[in-house]
Amino acid sequence: MIGGVFMYNHKGEVLISRIYRDDIGRNAVDAFRVNVIHVRQQVRFPVVNIARTSFFYIKKSNIWIAVVTKENINAAMCFEFLNKAVEVMQSYFGKISEENIKNNFVLIYELLDEILDFGYPQNSDVGILKTYITQQGVKSQSKEETSQITNQVTGQIGWRREGIKYRRNELFLDVLEYVNLLMSPQGQVLSAHVAGKIVMKSYLSGMPECKFGINDKLTLDSKGKSSASGTESAGNLVGGSGKSSIAIDDIQFHQCVKLSKFESDHSISFIPPDGEFELMKYRTTKDINLPFRVIPLVKETGKGKMEVKVIVKSNFKSTLIGQKIEVRIPTPPNTCGVQLICIKGKAKYKASDNAIVWKIKRMGGMKESQLSAEIELMSNEKKKWTRPPISMSFEVPFAPSGFKVRYLKVFEPKLNYSDNETIKWVRYIGRSGLYETRC
Amino acid sequence: MTPPVKGDGMRGLSVFISDIRNCKSREAEIKRINKELANIRTKFKGDKTLDGYQKKKYVCKLLFIFLLGHDIDFGQKEAVNLLVSNKYTEKQIGYLFISVILNHESDLMRLIIQNIKNDLSSRNPIFITLALQCIANIGNREMADAFAQDIPKLLVSGDTLDTVKQSAALCLLKLIRTAPELMPTGEWTTRIIHLLNDQHLGVVTAACSLIDILVKRNPEEYKACVSLAVSRLSRIVTSTYTDFQDYTYYFVPAPWLSVKILRLLQNYPPPEDPSIKSRLNECLDTILQKAQEALKSKKLQHSNAKNAVLFEAINLIIHIDSEPNLLVKACNQLGNFLSHKDTNLRYLALESMCLLATSEFSHEAVKKHQETVINALKTERDISVRQRAVDLLYAMCDRTNAEEIVKEMLAYLETADYHIREEMVLKVAILAEKYAVDYTWYVDIMLNLIRIAGDYVSEEVWYRVIQIVVNRTDVQGYAAKTVFEALQAPACHENMVKVGGYILGEFGNLIAGDPRSSPLVQFELLHSKYHLCSPQTRCLLLSTYVKFINLFSEIKQQIQHVLKQENNLKSSDVEIQQRSVEYLQLSMIADADVLATVLEEMPSFPERESSILSSILQKKKPPMETIGQKEEKIEKTTTNVQNGHEAKLGQVQSIANVQPVDLIGLNSTPPSTKNHTPTAVTPVKSDQEALLDIFGGPVPPPAQSVPVSNNNLDSLFSDTFGVPTQVVSEVSQFNPILSIQDNHMQFIFTNVDTLFENEALKIFMKCEFKQNLARLTLTFLNKTNFVFQNFSVESTGNNDLVRVLPRALDTNTISSQFEVAQILNVECVNDFIECPQVLVQFSCEGTQSRFELNLPVFLNKFFDPVQMDSQTFFTRWKNLANPGQEQQKIFKANFPIDKERNSQTLINFGWSSLTGIDPNPENFCGAGIIHTSTQQYGCLYRLEPNRQAQMYRLTIRSNKESISKRLVELLDNQF
Repeated sequence: MIGGVFMYNHKGEVLISRIYRDDIGRNAVDAFRVNVIHVRQQVRFPVVNIARTSFFYIKKSNIWIAVVTKENINAAMCFEFLNKAVEVMQSYFGKISEENIKNNFVLIYELLDEILDFGYPQNSDVGILKTYITQQGVKSQSKEETSQITNQVTGQIGWRREGIKYRRNELFLDVLEYVNLLMSPQGQVLSAHVAGKIVMKSYLSGMPECKFGINDKLTLDSKGKSSASGTESAGNLVGGSGKSSIAIDDIQFHQCVKLSKFESDHSISFIPPDGEFELMKYRTTKDINLPFRVIPLVKETGKGKMEVKVIVKSNFKSTLIGQKIEVRIPTPPNTCGVQLICIKGKAKYKASDNAIVWKIKRMGGMKESQLSAEIELMSNEKKKWTRPPISMSFEVPFAPSGFKVRYLKVFEPKLNYSDNETIKWVRYIGRSGLYETRC
Repeated sequence: MTPPVKGDGMRGLSVFISDIRNCKSREAEIKRINKELANIRTKFKGDKTLDGYQKKKYVCKLLFIFLLGHDIDFGQKEAVNLLVSNKYTEKQIGYLFISVILNHESDLMRLIIQNIKNDLSSRNPIFITLALQCIANIGNREMADAFAQDIPKLLVSGDTLDTVKQSAALCLLKLIRTAPELMPTGEWTTRIIHLLNDQHLGVVTAACSLIDILVKRNPEEYKACVSLAVSRLSRIVTSTYTDFQDYTYYFVPAPWLSVKILRLLQNYPPPEDPSIKSRLNECLDTILQKAQEALKSKKLQHSNAKNAVLFEAINLIIHIDSEPNLLVKACNQLGNFLSHKDTNLRYLALESMCLLATSEFSHEAVKKHQETVINALKTERDISVRQRAVDLLYAMCDRTNAEEIVKEMLAYLETADYHIREEMVLKVAILAEKYAVDYTWYVDIMLNLIRIAGDYVSEEVWYRVIQIVVNRTDVQGYAAKTVFEALQAPACHENMVKVGGYILGEFGNLIAGDPRSSPLVQFELLHSKYHLCSPQTRCLLLSTYVKFINLFSEIKQQIQHVLKQENNLKSSDVEIQQRSVEYLQLSMIADADVLATVLEEMPSFPERESSILSSILQKKKPPMETIGQKEEKIEKTTTNVQNGHEAKLGQVQSIANVQPVDLIGLNSTPPSTKNHTPTAVTPVKSDQEALLDIFGGPVPPPAQSVPVSNNNLDSLFSDTFGVPTQVVSEVSQFNPILSIQDNHMQFIFTNVDTLFENEALKIFMKCEFKQNLARLTLTFLNKTNFVFQNFSVESTGNNDLVRVLPRALDTNTISSQFEVAQILNVECVNDFIECPQVLVQFSCEGTQSRFELNLPVFLNKFFDPVQMDSQTFFTRWKNLANPGQEQQKIFKANFPIDKERNSQTLINFGWSSLTGIDPNPENFCGAGIIHTSTQQYGCLYRLEPNRQAQMYRLTIRSNKESISKRLVELLDNQF
């Protein structure tokens, strides 16, 4: 299990050090600084083993956060914990920075005591934590209140307290997808997948039970054709069209989803926590609608010169608009001059990154744009340039996997407000993950 | 950050450096560097020609980036351009860049060499010095080739400045280190030697280092330097220090030069010319006298410099080793240091004294300080100093003080540091043995040693104790008594049990008369330790027990009872089990006479070099150096010491022994001092021998009666339990095999042997057969120093009658000197003639090797012997009378006709050898069934020898013609 948690600033000075187990000595703190933070290496590994002690770490802005253990521990659990811890801290004091950590160190120790017990991760749900770890100083709670908190935290539905009331019952659904792609220069897809998540913000009274329907192939097939007509009518929540169902490779739910029900009849039903949470994560690899296509043309014209032409094509409905588009074209390390021409957007040679950065603010569907560059090279280059891939980032208002929300029904047995009275908002956002084209 | 230099500020550089220092993270730093590199690239590439200042600035930036750990692959050209400049700063930066960054195979090298040549011939001494520095810094072959001619000229030329000469000397030194054969010879020799007479002390110091290395390579040619060095030394030492201005360091005149000269002189034997010799002695005497004088300054530097010269002088005195007067004086001086408050001094004093102790002149003088040294051992806080004290005690030990020193060391051992305990144990053991006049004393000391530091007593030490006790009849009784008493302690070390077990087993009878140590008491005492010991010790104790059976027949019952115990007889440790079974059988079957012969007292060990002594020789590493490098010297002297000891040991022993024996094998140790290797090698061998002795020892000597090898073990079991096991009768031949085929025929009769061997690879094979299936284990041993890669064994699959299925290997590489076992499953489908083949492939050092290996699987391997009576045999014989079913062959005997052997051969072949069937008792008959997947074949044979004619007639009948034929082929000429 986790033996300790350390936080360092960018210089490697220790900001937070919390040790949970005796087998971790104080020198482990220094070992990490010397062997990881101060080491001058191009490639860093997320897990480092120094003298039989394993360090799992992440870096947030300029802060290093490391989990230390001497045991053979589940690495995925460590990283899950680290990310959760960051999320918890961010919700308490905003951005993770050296100053924020220094100002809130008491709170951080308190949180670390709560979310880890003798090295075993505990409840890290922000909503619940906020009920008993407050920033407003000590507020003496009545016995009833404390017992209520205890009951709730240890009870069956630990993530939602009783007696929530809203004048307007409202909920927001965000479908967030990240497209990852690796394409050959000829336009052949070498690998592509979409990692998506559904973030829900709920402002609902009482203990509502929700039922959520998506266009997952498995769900639709299992229900068969008998209920097909019924789902059709309910499925038009967004009014979108296209593929009727998609194949989901992996799926992961928030703890509030009743897994037994999902296993038996593939229905997603849950009592949502109050406020914002991540309902599910999923991954698809088939039939991905790639929003952009990059066509590179690289020519070496004689000694010391290179010509690069890049065409970007948008590949979605012309009514939609893509935003925040940025194309990053790597240049050889011996570049000593770049001339750029582009029709749309702005392009610039960034020497510090060894790349040409081309930014386009907005771009409609089914359009194309072009950039051409002339690169001057230092001649006495012996090493061959490895030609790293051109990468791209963007944001589009649809789900590239074809994911659709079919319905979201709300039942509240006690307060008895009907499904129709709740106001529901659904939004689709497609973003780029690692979106690369080889050149 | 860096203070701006007037007019030459390179502000851009300082801004860049401070930018880098202010970077928050490594990523930011990399970004800033990338930006700067792009900037420099554009600048260098640009059409505008840069002036020297700018070039210098950018080259400096590149240098800084390189020093931060980034690769720089351009800018060399600009740096070389800087060399042409006439400004000092630009030239300097150019040279700096080249010596730091340039990789040796750069194509710019020729250009650089040209530039250096220009600078060397320039009139400006500063440029020459810069060029010399650059040559020395790069210091590779190419530089050596290019400049080996020019530099000596510079060095001896009359009009070069002193500083340039200094640099030239050091530069030449560096080049000689890289390319020794370019050493200047002939006319240069005298001129270089005469640099020792140079006016400028700096030049002399530099030249001294150069001459030192030249002398090491070619002592004869530079012999003349001795007189010059001595006169130079005397001028420094005996002069008043006013005339050295710059070279007086804290009131000590030219300490570095003195040390270097003293060291240079150590390369040669003492000068023969009496005047030089007396002058040198005078110098050394003065140095020793000066050490007596009061310090001229309280500063540490003053005393350090003074002592450095003093210690080097003492080293020289020890090296000369012919001036009793000086040696004694040196010894007294060191004696003063022994109680000095500076730890370093005490360390050095002990170390030098160690060397002094080996000189015949100063040995006595050293002994005067015995008290102080023992005191140092007890009170010193620094472990390294204590270690030196132990060394010194060891070195100063002789017949007169041995008892006391050994006593003190033993006393100290109880509290000694763990690091040095093992070494101390060895030293005590050696001293005790070497100077033992009375061997009861030796036995006492050694037993005490085991009692105090049992864990650190290595195997060799207790082997040696036993060797000595066995070889010296006068101490045996005493040893048995003492060991018996020592064992009575409630907790005693396992090594003690080992020694005790062995000695009581051999000589327990000597003390059995005393009722307090009657046989039963001895046995019970030993057995009370038995369960606390490791298997190895238990084995030894079991041997002791069986010896007790012989010595004291009255306790035979008890001992047999112990041997019968489950945990012995069925021990999971094979060795214990085997010994228990064998000893039990021996004690039950054999009569008293046999027992007495088998379990006779061990014969004396052949006298040889003590294995302990050799192990300490190996341990001895040159002690840590504090002042300088004198390893070679030290090593040489240590060997001297050791050889000296050996010689003395030889004398002592031969006096003690009645017959003068070459005890320590001095003959095998060449008396040379320089060549260490032989001394290092022989000990290992004798170690092993010693080990064999001891382990061979407890097992009763006549090895035939209690066999050890596995094959014979089988036969033992079969004798004892009546289980018929196949006994391998042929002795394996392990000589290198030239043709594969030869050896593979061997497998007709055996199942375990070497199949193939050449200088690179050895294949060992083991087969097991069960009906129509076989499992072959091929062990491949890589005998080369290279790794075999892509190693694979595949079935060639062209033999349908025998199928071979290799089992997948865990690894496809065989490291050097490692082995890999490949298991092959073989199925016999039907009767076959040709042996199955496998294809072995591997690559070694890039060359691919592949060969086909005939697997020695023969038809007879799938035999099961059949027992039958005479009547059945002949009924079946007659049934197989169809033409073709019988095959007959008459052949000449290859070996003298021996019934036993033939019977064995037939059994090894796989079928039964039935007796009492054939009317003629000389004939052999038998039967067997061959199992194949498709069918079983019964086979019968008759072998009729004719003693007069020395001929055999072999008749084989089976229900298939081809089988009979094949079997005849296989058996042909085997008798």
